[in-house]
Amino acid sequence: MAKVNRVGSTSPPDGGWGWMIVAGCFLVTICTRAVTRCISIFFVEFQTYFTQDYAQTAWIHSIVDCVTMLCAPLGSVVSNHLSCQVGIMLGGLLASTGFILGSFATSLKHLYLTLGVLTGLGFALCYSPAIAMVGKYFSRRKALAYGIAMSGSGIGTFILAPVVQLLIEQFSWRGALLILGGFVLNLCVCGALMRPITLKEDHSSQEQNRVCRTQKEDCKRASPYSPLTKEWAQTCLCCSLQQEYSFLLMPDFVVLAISVLFMAYGCSPLFVYLVPYALSVGVSHQQAAFLMSILGVIDIIGNITFGWLTDRRCLKNYRYVCYLFAVGLDGLCYLCLPMLRSLPLLVPFSCTFGYFDGAYVTLIPVVTAEIVGTTSLSSALGVVYFLHAVPYLVSPPIAGWLVDTTGSYTAAFLLCGFSMIFSSVLLGFARLVKRMKRTQLQFLAKESDPKLQLWTNGSVAYSVARELDQKDGDSVATVVPGYNLT
Amino acid sequence: MRALTGLLGSPAPRAPPSRPLLLLCLIAAARWSLVDGDPPDSAFTSLPVREEMMAKYSNLSLESHSISLTEQSSMPVEKNITLERPSNMELTCHFTTSEDLNSINVTWKKGDELLEKNNYLINASGNTLYTQYTFTIINSKQMGSYSCFFEEEKEQRGTFNIKVPELHRKHKPLITYVGDSTVLVCKCENCFPVNWTWYSSNGSVQVPVDVHMNDKYVINGTHANETRLKIMHLSEEDGGSYWCHAIFQLGESEEHLELVVLSFLVPLKPFLAIIAEVVLLVAIILLCEMYTQKKKKHPEEGKEFEQIEQLKSDDSNGIENNAPRHRKNESGNQ
Repeated sequence: MAKVNRVGSTSPPDGGWGWMIVAGCFLVTICTRAVTRCISIFFVEFQTYFTQDYAQTAWIHSIVDCVTMLCAPLGSVVSNHLSCQVGIMLGGLLASTGFILGSFATSLKHLYLTLGVLTGLGFALCYSPAIAMVGKYFSRRKALAYGIAMSGSGIGTFILAPVVQLLIEQFSWRGALLILGGFVLNLCVCGALMRPITLKEDHSSQEQNRVCRTQKEDCKRASPYSPLTKEWAQTCLCCSLQQEYSFLLMPDFVVLAISVLFMAYGCSPLFVYLVPYALSVGVSHQQAAFLMSILGVIDIIGNITFGWLTDRRCLKNYRYVCYLFAVGLDGLCYLCLPMLRSLPLLVPFSCTFGYFDGAYVTLIPVVTAEIVGTTSLSSALGVVYFLHAVPYLVSPPIAGWLVDTTGSYTAAFLLCGFSMIFSSVLLGFARLVKRMKRTQLQFLAKESDPKLQLWTNGSVAYSVARELDQKDGDSVATVVPGYNLT
Repeated sequence: MRALTGLLGSPAPRAPPSRPLLLLCLIAAARWSLVDGDPPDSAFTSLPVREEMMAKYSNLSLESHSISLTEQSSMPVEKNITLERPSNMELTCHFTTSEDLNSINVTWKKGDELLEKNNYLINASGNTLYTQYTFTIINSKQMGSYSCFFEEEKEQRGTFNIKVPELHRKHKPLITYVGDSTVLVCKCENCFPVNWTWYSSNGSVQVPVDVHMNDKYVINGTHANETRLKIMHLSEEDGGSYWCHAIFQLGESEEHLELVVLSFLVPLKPFLAIIAEVVLLVAIILLCEMYTQKKKKHPEEGKEFEQIEQLKSDDSNGIENNAPRHRKNESGNQ
């Protein structure tokens, strides 16, 4: 019996093997996000070889991005049911196969299927489980760990872009795709690093799902050849899905989901339309490319420094506020963009936007973890990234249509700016409502039982508040001591 | 006659000569040149004949170019003119100087060949000397460098380089694989050649590409200013230099492309190296994990072993300590 207790629950190590997990996630981000961005370097080659125009070849990039985000929940389901290691290794094998088959392609349709769908599916199986794993290994330094892990996309793009160009020059696009397929196989190495860890379970999941858990244990004990297998299987599946996706009904999560939809709608067109906008106001090609490089580099800096900043004790309890502040500031930058019509004005814009873009990307997993807890983090991240897919897909074409019909970029940028500001206002509003409800109920609790007021340690108020909102363990603990019961 | 030659030999007049005098001179010059027996080139005929020719070529476009020189210009001034189709040319040189305009000798040369004086106009106003050479270019023989010379103590020179449009674009070698097909593209910005031809060369000799070979070469182009050569079923011998020639009415210009044909083993080597590295790293990491897990189990087994050893040693200590020993055994077993 002593043996069983020793293997079980631990608290997040906040270091040790955790840093290897961060390194693994960093490599996963490079192999997925950075490689996706570098696929666009192949377009000129595809256009010449297959004699197609830009629009046809650009579909490859859209398909990869869309499939990666759409199948993110599939990734979390696979890694929850098999194991994180197996899930990521499987994803690495799939993505690598996609690249290798793509190097033998004889038409653009083949590339859509291999490089688009197969590789996108492989990436989806890797991305959200890896990010969820980082959350399990860190609690105190969570934001810094996420910052380092997410900076992989910026640093990866920076390093891979010239390397891919060199590969194409040396080996032409077929050889370059083959070698890139080998590079993407390193996702299997990242998968091997993701050692499983069992944590102390959250209070919420224990109480809500006790019934489901006993049924799950029965499921495990039942033999596969019993006559009631089909019924058992169905109830088991239903129950496990119910347990896994119980967070979908939480009002906090619903608010986060809606705000993510609007935020993803707003943030994607800038990377597509900054260069054309800069060219239209008279900036030269090289200076426009320089603006994009600044955006990329400051993005990386924002990732890491904002992660470190929000880990400080003073900001740790305000990560949610920092997140909505970063999203709101980005929206404001968008609103100012139509007024910036020269290079000396666009450079500070690039710096500001890039910094806060990196900032909120780091905080998405942190805020999600705060809302749903660490056990459901993998599934929740799957859903959050799934919600990125459709806005990523529709937002650039809609912005392009607006630019074509109005003849200027103002309408498109204003729409994106308002979308992001709405997203951050929604989050702030939801938080305000929750706080008001809590203080109201605490006030009522105080008034309903005057005797309990004599308990100066405030434990009654604590337990009432705890029933209201079990997720905010930290914030309640900070509020209560300040609450004066006299 | 001598008076006339004297007139021709003297430095060109400063003021435009009166029309009857000019006509007289030029008719005489025409007769003189005709008597010489040399059949004149179409561009170097006398003015009335030239006017006829100008009337014939009046449907051609007129290109005017000018160069300004000063006495301080230390280096010869050059101007590049690209010409695709036949046109009338008007080349003007201005020379500004503080010196006496009468003492300057003005000449025109094509390459090193001196041009006839009666074919160009010379004018002066204020401090500046103008000279204008008008002619028509209809074939490649008339292309080249035309220079105007102003001679005093130093020679000032302005050159017009008339050439067909050039195709020079930096091309990196095109990499392809055996059994694959490839497309070689030649493009000309802002120019429209009459025809394109392709040549391949293995050394210095250019051999035209045989388009009639089945299934090997296809030449087509979507616009007039580009051409595409598609080569199918590549083999190692197809590698080397390829030349595309753009043919204009007034000449030809060419571009060089390099084709490299590799076998598929070439990128396979780095690929296999990366796969080997991945397999090695995965094996190392998984072995490390199994080793750490075993180590975690062993300390527990080790502690139980110690407990059993202690009980055994207590057992052998003595028989009289029965009661306390039982209690100790019980607590130890739990």
